[in-house]
Amino acid sequence: MDHTSNNERLGFVKKDHLILAICGLAVFALVAFVFYDSARPEWQTYQTEFRDLVEEKFGPERANSVPAGIQQVYVRELGRADRCITCHMGVVWKGLESAPEPYRTHPKEIIDKHPIEKFGCTSCHGGQGYATVTEAAHGPLEQWEEPLLGSRMGEFYVLNDKQALMQMNCNSCHRYDRETKGASFINRGKQIVSERGCRACHAINGRGGTVGPDLTSEGSKAPDQFNYERIKGFHSEFTWHVTHFKSPKELVPETVMPSFGFSSADAQALAILVMSWKKETIPLAYLPNHNVRDVPTVEEKAKEERMLSGPGAFFVKKNCFVCHSVSTLGIDAAAQIGPDLALAVTDVQSRFGRTLDDFLFKPTGTMEVVLSTMISLSPDERREAIEKLRYANQLKQQEVAETAKKKK
Amino acid sequence: MNVTASLRSLYRKLTWTWNPQSDKEAGDAIVKNLLLHWFPNKITKGSLSWGYSFYLGTISFVLLVILVVTGVILMFLYVPSVERAYATVKDIEFTVSFGWVLRAMHRIAAHLMVATVFLHMVRVFLTGAYKNGSSVGAARPLNWIVGIVLLILTLLLSFTGYLLPWDQLAYWAITVGTNIASAAPLVGKSLRFFLLGGSEIDQNALIRFYVLHVVFLPGLLFLLFSYHMWRVRKDGGLAIVDHEALQQTTEQAAPVKAKTYSLLGITGQTSVHVRTAVVDEEKNSVPSAPNLARRVWLVTLLTFAVVLALSLVFRAPLESPANPSVTPNPAKAPWYFLWLQEIVTITTVSIGSFTVNGAFVGGVLLPGVLIILALWWPFRDRTGVNAVGVWFAPERRWQNRVFIAICLLIIIFTFVGTFMRGPYWTLFWPWESWPEMPVKF
Repeated sequence: MDHTSNNERLGFVKKDHLILAICGLAVFALVAFVFYDSARPEWQTYQTEFRDLVEEKFGPERANSVPAGIQQVYVRELGRADRCITCHMGVVWKGLESAPEPYRTHPKEIIDKHPIEKFGCTSCHGGQGYATVTEAAHGPLEQWEEPLLGSRMGEFYVLNDKQALMQMNCNSCHRYDRETKGASFINRGKQIVSERGCRACHAINGRGGTVGPDLTSEGSKAPDQFNYERIKGFHSEFTWHVTHFKSPKELVPETVMPSFGFSSADAQALAILVMSWKKETIPLAYLPNHNVRDVPTVEEKAKEERMLSGPGAFFVKKNCFVCHSVSTLGIDAAAQIGPDLALAVTDVQSRFGRTLDDFLFKPTGTMEVVLSTMISLSPDERREAIEKLRYANQLKQQEVAETAKKKK
Repeated sequence: MNVTASLRSLYRKLTWTWNPQSDKEAGDAIVKNLLLHWFPNKITKGSLSWGYSFYLGTISFVLLVILVVTGVILMFLYVPSVERAYATVKDIEFTVSFGWVLRAMHRIAAHLMVATVFLHMVRVFLTGAYKNGSSVGAARPLNWIVGIVLLILTLLLSFTGYLLPWDQLAYWAITVGTNIASAAPLVGKSLRFFLLGGSEIDQNALIRFYVLHVVFLPGLLFLLFSYHMWRVRKDGGLAIVDHEALQQTTEQAAPVKAKTYSLLGITGQTSVHVRTAVVDEEKNSVPSAPNLARRVWLVTLLTFAVVLALSLVFRAPLESPANPSVTPNPAKAPWYFLWLQEIVTITTVSIGSFTVNGAFVGGVLLPGVLIILALWWPFRDRTGVNAVGVWFAPERRWQNRVFIAICLLIIIFTFVGTFMRGPYWTLFWPWESWPEMPVKF
């Protein structure tokens, strides 16, 4: 049988040759596209522009010293490889302070204290350091939880200081500082925490009350661990915190957290602060003064001891002091949302038309909720409370009498 | 001899097996070329036809080759450690030259291979190709069993590869998968411990899955694949050959010329005139070199082109780093196990005080029953030789209907699990959009 004529008899051979040719061309075209695509990465355009800028400003010699290719800062201690400087080439250059982004020199004061070799970029700025394309590097994107905390994000959340969200990352290391230079939102948040006595209910940095949830690792919660049913519009953890700080009951009707009437700026400052409280391991060398604990000040400690050992200790132990001061027994309320209990004996009578004994055994209104959910008092303890409040009232009467005398 | 002629002769020496000029050369090509040695000398037109086999086995093999080549390159770049795995995959995506395309191709080829191996099994069942025909020494049921094991190995290879990037998708798919495995009676808990190398998904689990993925399972797969191919030859080629043999008729052919011969000059004679019968099989056969070889090249190029094109369109996603304390919503197994996850959901019901353990039903009982049924079926199927190597043989009508129904259910449940199960595992129609999940900022 003749081999060639045999092939000719087969109708499929010609067709096979044709399909083979088409497939071959398709493979060639696709491979060519891959090469073409990878031969002109986005960062190359920025590097060319940067070189032109340097040449224009400093002459061709310095332009030749501009590195080419993907650049990165690798910080072993923090496990970060930040490739931001592939495009942001001017970060450590002098004399490009007024150049357009991404070529501008980094503000000097802050980078002097936080050298790029030690901190990288993303530990402060957020974003995806691994990425070598703008979209993936800056975010926000679904697959990367930490977008660049820059002015675009700040504008979106209408912050007074567009860069303020970044302070969240400052507080990773500066967590135990009382005050951090330049971190105005974090400082304001910390000031509120101390003034409003958040610790009366919440544990913060491992220290505080147990009435409310522990906030030590609040920032490590996932966004979907919050309930957004009552939030209209964009659902983000940051929005949740801001809304919640402004009006806790609006988001969580059953909450006992009082509304403090925070301004938007204060609520934002607090949201930034609580979201900065992450569960993360920071190398000791990165913590300012190697400070690894949130230590109360001498005054705070003295006050705490005074309250716990004084005649009003009962009201601290039973958490009454979260809302109520008992001024004559030396108890200072943390949140100061309830009336001073030194006046309770007369106050209850005038408000509810009932005696204190009667009221405490059969409370109404807010106190009914509080005494049936958060604070449980046995009948003996209720009697003890009444006795102590009577004593506090006596002291108050004496005090009033004395002041009246002095005035005379 | 001038240079051109010697070059031409050298080229011919190197390539003649791919383009034989005579039937003799075509036969020699099969013997002398390593790549062609697993082909038969001649192949029937039916075996070559697109419509019989759809070349699904060939496509699966080409995908396997793509997976091995891209996989070996990825092995140079990937570090199987909990601390570094994620970062190395990010590096492959962003800084390694062509890293992203290698990874995307590896992923697409893996997904496609699961699909083509499954479709190959469907084809073999619907053509009754697991049945022995008339050829001597055939053991097609055995090769069907080997095929089922190869399908399971393919699924396991894909599943073990799923964990390696150490991102949220990986971590939680393995969580779902190993939790289902732990629903096996008696050995469940130990099985999960054995799979993970501990009670938590951590470094031990990662290195176990890595070694399984790059050494153990591929080794086993190649061993069984070689045997699978060898058996195809031993079983007389594709089952359609047996079907063609049934149809063949003998016809008178011209008598072969008588030959005069001598033996060492001692004796000599003229042979007898023989009248032979040419059978259709011979008439319908063509040399494998270059006809089958050309087809295989064609399928190879086509598969490669499709994989590369899909890789350019669907970039391999990488989610946030694995975080045991944050569960994605919904947490899903890999897509080819979603029909099982769907059945787990459906069968987790309480009737009064009696609770059905869905993980056991969907994760252990049902796949177990299906596998045993598949292994046993060739021995149960007693239809005749007419039902071998032919699509939808009337004799096998009912088995084919039941088989198609089971496959359709698997495909439908897979679709539902993949595209219709949204956050909180709620059912959404394909045209309904899922609620937007909250983000950090």
